[in-house]
Amino acid sequence: MGAMGAAAGAWLARPMMSLARAVPAGRVAVGTCREYGPEVTGTLARMFDQLGGLEGLVRGKTVAVKLNLTGIATDRLGYLPAEITHWVHPQVVGATVQLLGQAGAARIRLLESPMVTTEPLEEFMLQANWEPRDFESAAPRVEFENTNYLGYGKAYSRFWVPDGGLMFKGYDLNHSYEDCDVFVSLAKLKEHVTAGVTLSMKNCFGITPCTIYGDDAPVDEPSLAPRGGRGPFHEGNRLPAKSAPPPVNAQAPKDPGYSVPRVVADLVAARPVHLAVIDGIHSMAGGEGPWCDHVRHVQPGLLVAGTNCVATDAVCTALMGFDPMADRGTPPFETCDSTLRLAEQLGVGTRDLSRIEVLGTPIAAARFNFRQS
Amino acid sequence: MNVDRNWVPMKWPCGPLAIAHRNKLGSRSPDLKETLEAWVRPSALELLKGTPVNCLIVEWADGAPDDSAQHQALKPLLEAGGKLGMSFVGKLALKKGTGAAVAAARAAGLSAVMLGETSGQSFDLPVIRESPRDKAAWEAASTIFSATENVWPGLNLQTMNGDTALAGPTGIPWVNSNAWFSLLGGELAPGKTSWLDFDPPADSDLLHPAAYALAVADSRAYGSRWIISLDDKLRAALPKGNVQAKGVWEKLCEAAAFFEEHKEWQAFKSQGVLAIVSDFRGDNAYLSGEVLNLLNRRQVQFRIVERARTLPALEGLKALLWLDHETPGAEELAQLLAFVRQGGLVIAAAYWGTPDVTPAKKDPSLQYRLYNDGKGQIAVAEEGFQDPYQVAVDTHLLVSRRNDLVRLYNPETTNCHASGESVSPHKGKRLVQVLNYSSEPAASVTVWVNDRLEAARFWQLGAAEARTLQARPASPGTEFDLPPLSDYCALEFEGTEL
Repeated sequence: MGAMGAAAGAWLARPMMSLARAVPAGRVAVGTCREYGPEVTGTLARMFDQLGGLEGLVRGKTVAVKLNLTGIATDRLGYLPAEITHWVHPQVVGATVQLLGQAGAARIRLLESPMVTTEPLEEFMLQANWEPRDFESAAPRVEFENTNYLGYGKAYSRFWVPDGGLMFKGYDLNHSYEDCDVFVSLAKLKEHVTAGVTLSMKNCFGITPCTIYGDDAPVDEPSLAPRGGRGPFHEGNRLPAKSAPPPVNAQAPKDPGYSVPRVVADLVAARPVHLAVIDGIHSMAGGEGPWCDHVRHVQPGLLVAGTNCVATDAVCTALMGFDPMADRGTPPFETCDSTLRLAEQLGVGTRDLSRIEVLGTPIAAARFNFRQS
Repeated sequence: MNVDRNWVPMKWPCGPLAIAHRNKLGSRSPDLKETLEAWVRPSALELLKGTPVNCLIVEWADGAPDDSAQHQALKPLLEAGGKLGMSFVGKLALKKGTGAAVAAARAAGLSAVMLGETSGQSFDLPVIRESPRDKAAWEAASTIFSATENVWPGLNLQTMNGDTALAGPTGIPWVNSNAWFSLLGGELAPGKTSWLDFDPPADSDLLHPAAYALAVADSRAYGSRWIISLDDKLRAALPKGNVQAKGVWEKLCEAAAFFEEHKEWQAFKSQGVLAIVSDFRGDNAYLSGEVLNLLNRRQVQFRIVERARTLPALEGLKALLWLDHETPGAEELAQLLAFVRQGGLVIAAAYWGTPDVTPAKKDPSLQYRLYNDGKGQIAVAEEGFQDPYQVAVDTHLLVSRRNDLVRLYNPETTNCHASGESVSPHKGKRLVQVLNYSSEPAASVTVWVNDRLEAARFWQLGAAEARTLQARPASPGTEFDLPPLSDYCALEFEGTEL
């Protein structure tokens, strides 16, 4: 276990400037799927085949899948269930689990850090009227863990950011992010009020435990239960518990548009994503959750997958009607720095569409403009 | 003369005794005196025409010289009220001379008296015992008993930041509710009616109409009755024809009338697969009361079981929370172990099951040891029951949300209660009542019930007839999208076998 993560870390350890010139290019598959239903599995299977198949990636391996289940389980945009707007849909989760299982994954661990609770992830899902048993029956060995606290681990796992990090030198995470061979980010295709877009990279913001990075985390050591949201990352209003690696620059701007994209870029550099899967069949525009102002339901009818999270998110950004090469001041990054650019600078991947091979439906044919929908 | 469980009681402060009481409290405003004088006049009863209010609680005696003046002042009101079919209950606050005061009440035509302690005395007029709710008169001889020290239902003002309701640890705003106490009354005093004695907040300023409707609904939805009590400003404004005051009063009466039209709901039983077992008294009163309150706030549906030598049948239950410090007696133990061996879950603060069972641990977040016995388990809190909030959270998780009977989406300031003709959620008529504890309407609330339904009868306060609310399948149950909810609504449907 950990071999693939270590390998990824090895190339990330190279000097940043040379990486900026030679970041990995990527292959990204785009599938159209109008509705949730049996067609989801077929579409994803085709896309994974286009990427070269999952078998080489997951056979005999422990696969950790970070889900995007942001906010409180009972929060809805109007009357729409969370999975129709801001959560990845259980059919996409189930299909991914099934296909990972069919590709020979030895163990599949579904992970998320539910807001302000240590409750088992299965219970969090049940609260949203999901049935965790559906996932357990989709593949031979499926497990769940709430990663917003220590969980089943005996200690937090430390992930150092290659080259020192943009915001923090390293991050302390639940053991699940270390005790895996393959890391999958299963995200939703959404805009984000603070970060412009939230895709496979921003999904990883939620791997940080609020026992350490929460608003009310203790000063010195992690709390037993998560306390508050991730204000230290958003507002810079305080430091994480001292047990975790310190910030790179204590004088960094206290601007969420500065810090959040950098934390995200740090995280995907420190904990590499091997497979990014993005659910854009139904979603919401204008923000990342029902708590945002001026948000609305949209139906792009898209699924996107790739083996490089920056390239995958770049394609998604283009599919949403934005320029992935855009930076602060330009949509969707009007008030923030581009996570795509920052992650690219860290050598995680390229956002340059000319260097990304798009498989399946071309971007031009699949584009769904979030601002004009 | 008997007390009537169907009385709709209302406090009617008036006359010299009320004025003296207010003077003692330092409320000497001319407006208030004028109001208290106005409400003793028979003409004040005009307010009650066409309303369900049929029982007025008047101050009768406190042992002061004003008592006889009060009796004289009330005479015309009692006569006029009697002609309108109104019953009067005299409130006594006496240390001695109770017998004489009761005799005077009887002579004046009062239907009952309300007093705190009877000291073993018997009277020739029905007595409604009134006591603080931690000393509630469950065993009182009368079919009505009254409890004080309740809360005014609504958002907890101490947890408000301006107009914004701050969330509690549950992620939902704190609300004040007497629901748990009403439910407890239903179990500890079956066949009796509990009256809840509480007044509007002292600093209220013509409360929002929904606030009074909620005070009615928070009591009636859970099986008790609020002794209607108006704030001073409202009482002063009503006789003067103030339009806003009239609106508040009409809304209150509409709520009271609604529940009178649905008396059959009062016989419905709380539904839930979880039983909360305690004697709910003495050293166990605080923990058990808090746990009931917090489980209710989490929308956990439960049945209350009073601990006795023999527990009632545990039919239909999946879990049982044994809250008391005391370990079960031999008979109870045998019954509990049989329940566990058939697949039930018992949650307790100490292990008293079969010896030599090695415990397991379910989840790192739950500080419980799990003892398997037969098909079921005994879950024992590693450090006992210390924090009622944690007990409520853990209980919900140990029982599992898979066993929820009802859930609310976008719940915010709302809460709900499931009841039915049967304790089984799959038999007979079922009712899910939803209450909004904010003065702002609750938007986009969805109710999920563990039943497969096509539609439900949807009731709102003031509605003479139900309308049909279409359902949406949400396996394994059904969802109903509620229209904006200002105070209260109810979904009525037939339970089905899943």
